[in-house]
Amino acid sequence: MRTDPGIADPDVFYATLVAAQEGMTAAESAAFNARLVLLLANQIGDFATLLACIDAAKHSAD
Amino acid sequence: MSASDANNASTGGYTLPTYPFRVPPEIEARAERRRYPVVIVGAGLAGLTLACDLATRGINTVVLDEDDTIGVRGASSRGIVYARKSLEVFRRLGIFDRIRAKGARWFVGRTLVNDDIVYEFDMSTVTSSEQPAFLNLQQFYIEWFLVDRIEALGRTDLRWKNRVVRAVQAADHVKVDVETPAGPYTLEAEWLIDASGLASAIREGFGLDTHSSKSTEDRWCITDVRFTKDLPQERWTWVEGASNEGRAIWQHPMADGVWRLDFQMAPNSDPAYVSHPDVARDRLRRHLGEGVEFELVWVGPYQYRAHLLDEFRHGRVFFIGDAAHVVSPFGARGGNTGIQDAENLAWKLALFLSGQAPERLLDTYSQERRAAAVENLEVTSRTARFLAPRSEGERTLRAAALALARKYPFARALINTGRLSAAHTYSSSTLVTSGGQCVQNVPIILADGKRACLIDLVSGTPCVFLALWSPSRTANASVVTGLRSLEADFPIKLLAVGTHPMVNSIRDADGTLARELRLEPGFVVLIRPDLHVAGVFAEGDLPALQAAATRTLGR
Repeated sequence: MRTDPGIADPDVFYATLVAAQEGMTAAESAAFNARLVLLLANQIGDFATLLACIDAAKHSAD
Repeated sequence: MSASDANNASTGGYTLPTYPFRVPPEIEARAERRRYPVVIVGAGLAGLTLACDLATRGINTVVLDEDDTIGVRGASSRGIVYARKSLEVFRRLGIFDRIRAKGARWFVGRTLVNDDIVYEFDMSTVTSSEQPAFLNLQQFYIEWFLVDRIEALGRTDLRWKNRVVRAVQAADHVKVDVETPAGPYTLEAEWLIDASGLASAIREGFGLDTHSSKSTEDRWCITDVRFTKDLPQERWTWVEGASNEGRAIWQHPMADGVWRLDFQMAPNSDPAYVSHPDVARDRLRRHLGEGVEFELVWVGPYQYRAHLLDEFRHGRVFFIGDAAHVVSPFGARGGNTGIQDAENLAWKLALFLSGQAPERLLDTYSQERRAAAVENLEVTSRTARFLAPRSEGERTLRAAALALARKYPFARALINTGRLSAAHTYSSSTLVTSGGQCVQNVPIILADGKRACLIDLVSGTPCVFLALWSPSRTANASVVTGLRSLEADFPIKLLAVGTHPMVNSIRDADGTLARELRLEPGFVVLIRPDLHVAGVFAEGDLPALQAAATRTLGR
C-alpha cells in the first residue's frame, strides 16, 4: 500500500470529490462513495494492496 | 430387475418406479450372520454413485435403503444442476447419454433487479470437456438411471425397505442391525459406507458432532412448477424481485417443462404458511402475471444450514455426501460434492481391496474430501451473505455493485448469486506431489484411430493411474525402459501423447488435450483415476516418478 503522496493535484482532486456529492442526502452520498470504492478497487486489483487499504481505513478512525 | 417391471408411485404428475422388497438371505435361509466386504447405507445420489462406481471396478456391494423408490418423498425438490465434473463421472459410469437426452440445456443466464436486467452471460463455450459445463435435471432421474445401470452391471445387492437402526464397530468389521418388513436381521460389513444423509442414524449412534450452524437465517420457499406454455430456456436470477417484496428469486429450467422457482422468504417467516399451496400459488401469479397457467409439482420451505463432520472416517465407517457435510444450495454444491465423495472413495477402495494399496490410502478420503467440503462452506457462505445483507452498510455496497454491473464488466464479477460447483484442487493432499487440479475430460484419438475421451482411459477394470508422456526428441531406450517399469510396479497405464514407436499412444483430437495438460516435451504427468493431477516429472527422472507413484497409492 502506498502512503506517500501519490495524487497528482490533491486540492483539485478533493474539490472535485466534494463537488460530485454536492446536494446529495447522506444516503445518496454513501451510495456514491460505495460505487467509487468499487471502481477504485478495480484500478488497484492486487488483493494484498486492497487488504492493506481496508485495514488502514478500518484503523485510521481510532 | 429393471424399472419397467417395477411398480409405480405417482406424485406431482410423475410416476416413479418402486422396487420390490425381497426377503434378505439372512432371514429367508435363517443363515448365520453374513459378512460382506462393502456395505453402503442409503440409495441416494452419493450412495448409488458409489455402488455403481464400485460395480464398474468389479466390486460387489450390498446397498441398504429404507425406502422402496428413488427420490425423497417422491418427485420432490432436491438437486437440479449437475456440474461438469459430475457429468464426467456419469460418463465413466455409463449413464451420461441418458442424462444428456433427458436434461435441460441452458446457456444464457440473466441477473435482474426487479424488471431491469443487470447483466446476462452465455455459458455455451466455457468447457473443453466432452461434457457441458452443467445440465439441469431433477435428482430422481439421476438416481433412476443409476439404479438401472447398477442392475445392468449385476454386482450390487440392492436391498429396498432395509432400514439400518444401529451400527457397532468391531475389530475387523462393523455389525449392522437392519429392520425390514420381514423382521430384523444383522449383517457384518468389513467396510461400511454411510450415505444416509443428514439425519443419519449411524452417525448419531456414534455421537459424532456435525457442528451445525445457521450462518444465515435465510429461509426460502422452493416451488417446482409445470407450465402449459414454455418460458425461454434460460436461468433468471433476481437479486431483488418485485413479485417477492424485493427479495431474491431463482428461476431454473428442468426436464419435462418443469421449472424450479425459489423465493427468498422474510426472516422469521412461518414455514408452514409460506409453503401453503394457496400462498405459493398467489406468489407465483404475482411473479408470472395473470393468465399464465401452471401446475404445482412440489412446494417446500427450506432453511439454510451448514454441517461439517470433523473426520469423514470413523473406524471402519466412511461418511459420504450429506451424512458428512451440508451446505446451503448455492452453486449446487451439495449433490455434486456427494458424487465426488463417492468417486474419491471408489477408486481408493478398488485399489485397496485388490491389494494394490495399503489401508492408509483409505484415510486420505477424509483428508481430501473434507478439504473440499470446507471450501464449499466458505464459497456458499459468501453467496448467502451477498443475498442477505446484514446491515444498511452491506445493502449500500451491494446496491453499488449492482449499479456498476449494469455498465461495467468488472462489477459483474462481484454479483454473487452462487458459484457453480467445481472439482476441488487437492493441493494440500499427502497423495499429491504437485498440482492436484482436475483435468477436463477432453476428446482424444486412440492409436487405432478411434475417437474417445480421456476418462475412457481410467474407466472400468483394472483401476489405473495414467502416466501421460510427451516424449522429447532425445528420449532413448533407457528412458522407455524406465517408464515401462512403472507399469510393472504400479497400477499405471503409460501412454505417449503424440506418437512413439515403442509405447502405446494417444493423440489430441482438437488441441484441447495439449491445452489441458500443458505438457512440455520431455515430461510425464501422473493422473489419478479421478482425473486429478498427482504430479509432473521429467521423463528421465525415474526415481521421482517412482516416489510419486508410491506416495499417491499411499504405500
